[in-house]
Amino acid sequence: MSGGALRLARLTRVHAAGQPPALDDFTLDVPSGSCVAVLGPSGSGKSTVLRLTAGLDEPDGGNVHLDGRDLAGVPPERRGMAMVFQRPLLFPHLSVRDNVAFADRVRGVPRRRARERAEHYLGLVALGGFGDRPARALSGGQEQRVALARALAAEPQVLLLDEPFSALDSALREEMHDLLLDLRVRLDPTVLLVTHDAGEADALADTVAVLDGGRLQQAGPMRELYTAPASLAVNRLLGGRTEVPGTVRDGVHRSELGALVLSGSVPDGPGVLVVRPEAVRVTAPDDPAADVPGTVVRVRRRGLRALVAVEVPGPGGASVEAELAAGEELPAGRTVGLVLPVAARAVVPPVPADPLPAAAPCLTGDTLRP
Amino acid sequence: MTTTDAPPAGPAGRSTGRRSRRLGARGRAVLLVLPALVLVVTVVGAALGSALLLALGLAPLVGEPALSLDGWREVAPDLGTSIRISLGIAAASTAIAAFVGLCIALAATAAVRRSRLLGTLASLTIPIPHLVGAAAIGLLLADAGFLSRLLGVDPPSWPPLVGGRLWVAVVAEYAWKESAFVALVVIGVLSSRAASYGETAALLGAGRWARLRYVTLPLAAPALGASAAVSFVYTLGSYEVAALLGRPFPEPLPVLAFRLFTSIDLTARSQAAAVAVTTALLGLVVVLLSLRALRRLAAEQ
Repeated sequence: MSGGALRLARLTRVHAAGQPPALDDFTLDVPSGSCVAVLGPSGSGKSTVLRLTAGLDEPDGGNVHLDGRDLAGVPPERRGMAMVFQRPLLFPHLSVRDNVAFADRVRGVPRRRARERAEHYLGLVALGGFGDRPARALSGGQEQRVALARALAAEPQVLLLDEPFSALDSALREEMHDLLLDLRVRLDPTVLLVTHDAGEADALADTVAVLDGGRLQQAGPMRELYTAPASLAVNRLLGGRTEVPGTVRDGVHRSELGALVLSGSVPDGPGVLVVRPEAVRVTAPDDPAADVPGTVVRVRRRGLRALVAVEVPGPGGASVEAELAAGEELPAGRTVGLVLPVAARAVVPPVPADPLPAAAPCLTGDTLRP
Repeated sequence: MTTTDAPPAGPAGRSTGRRSRRLGARGRAVLLVLPALVLVVTVVGAALGSALLLALGLAPLVGEPALSLDGWREVAPDLGTSIRISLGIAAASTAIAAFVGLCIALAATAAVRRSRLLGTLASLTIPIPHLVGAAAIGLLLADAGFLSRLLGVDPPSWPPLVGGRLWVAVVAEYAWKESAFVALVVIGVLSSRAASYGETAALLGAGRWARLRYVTLPLAAPALGASAAVSFVYTLGSYEVAALLGRPFPEPLPVLAFRLFTSIDLTARSQAAAVAVTTALLGLVVVLLSLRALRRLAAEQ
């Protein structure tokens, strides 16, 4: 099985007239055999992307192309896509085996052959021998494996995954991630995954598209999104908390942290400096390599590593988050020095001030003029 | 349960406490069910018990009590025909009601172009009393009724739908009312599940018919079976529609029982009770058979 190339072009969907669009001019390429994740908070329109791709909802604008063919007007059952939802939705009246054999059965494959193939796919998700069980006699993780096997058995051109692992506990989720990576190596499917979990997108996808408020914020490999986020929204969604407003001039960012040289070319003007906590190094306050001194104000543990918030003194004050090395401890109140590597310094545009209410411009003389 | 079987000492105190709380919960549950239980057992038990005593000649209105099957013996010539008619009416109206009700439910819960109107019409039909429904069907289907006038057919050439040999008006009334009941029950089951399972099936390549055959119908089957069984038993034992819209002779079981019960011949009471007990037994058999079928369906699923 090798997947098709999917292209979503300028997809727009308005759920109800008068409301802002759930998805606005969304364009995304999913090359054949790749896994692309759409990452966004809840309500960002990411499930809408999948529903429009699958043909479950009609777009108000834009197209879905599969291997160059426009799928407008093609019903879901003829699109050659299979979807795994957040809930497994195994048919309760069928056994595990018949659930997996479902796509073959409705395609007219004889029952015996369909069941043999179902056993093969159950084996792929490590559930060989579970075929005779009723669908309801499985655990949550097993149910989701069967749902995955059922979708794969349909041999879809594109496999759509709608937060399929978010209802599982973290250990099971990691197991499912391994399974999916393994299946990708074996079957080479084209996968479009939707998730709100940056870690999941990082673990599974080749490319990640960040969606917020129905608009594509940034698309690219996860590493790029981490090191060079395009906006504050992307930085926040990926767990970045350091945001220092300032001004850029001649490749130098000036703020409460002082003048910090930036890598690459950054246009002059106001800009917010963002730095990943993993990139920040904490040293002694008198270390000559330290870019800026500060005081630890908060310590948050994350397994062996701790995340510290360091307050940098100044008229407005600024807070920088840093991740300590494994096993390293720092009490709150300790004065430290921070090293912000040049490559890790990224500047994003400041959030524009709230626009005026939509009705307001209508009252100005300009718009009333004929 | 006594405290002697509780494990001794230490955590036993906690365990015993939990047990007594559980016992308390069970006790409370029994207490909560008790009013309903008492009512059902008293009413149904007393009614069936007295009907049985009357049918067996143990509680005659006149004469000495003596165990006999005379009630059944005397009504035997009519009983066979009445059973056939009652079962026929119940089967025909239930079959139509199940089919129509299922269609209404499917239309009302369809993922695409669902008809809320149908669902609303079905729920509006439920509170109309059968007596009113029977009168309406009578006015509609009688030889001088609304339909014959609308179609411009002379009363003599109009088929005997009301009071005719085929019990058309009776079956139509039950089918109409019960289809709304079936629809409401099936809508309740499908509305929460049909859409998501239908979408899943569509994405696995199932077209409209395949979705209906492999997903929607199996999901609806238990609710359809249960509501059809309820409808069948109700139709079997219901009196007023058959009395209003049916033939004077032969009679369905409830009509026969009521006529004998109100007869001026006081000895006919035991025959009336025999017919009533027979009807109840038929209903019980149908309920048990359908429960078994539903349980098998549930086991398969």
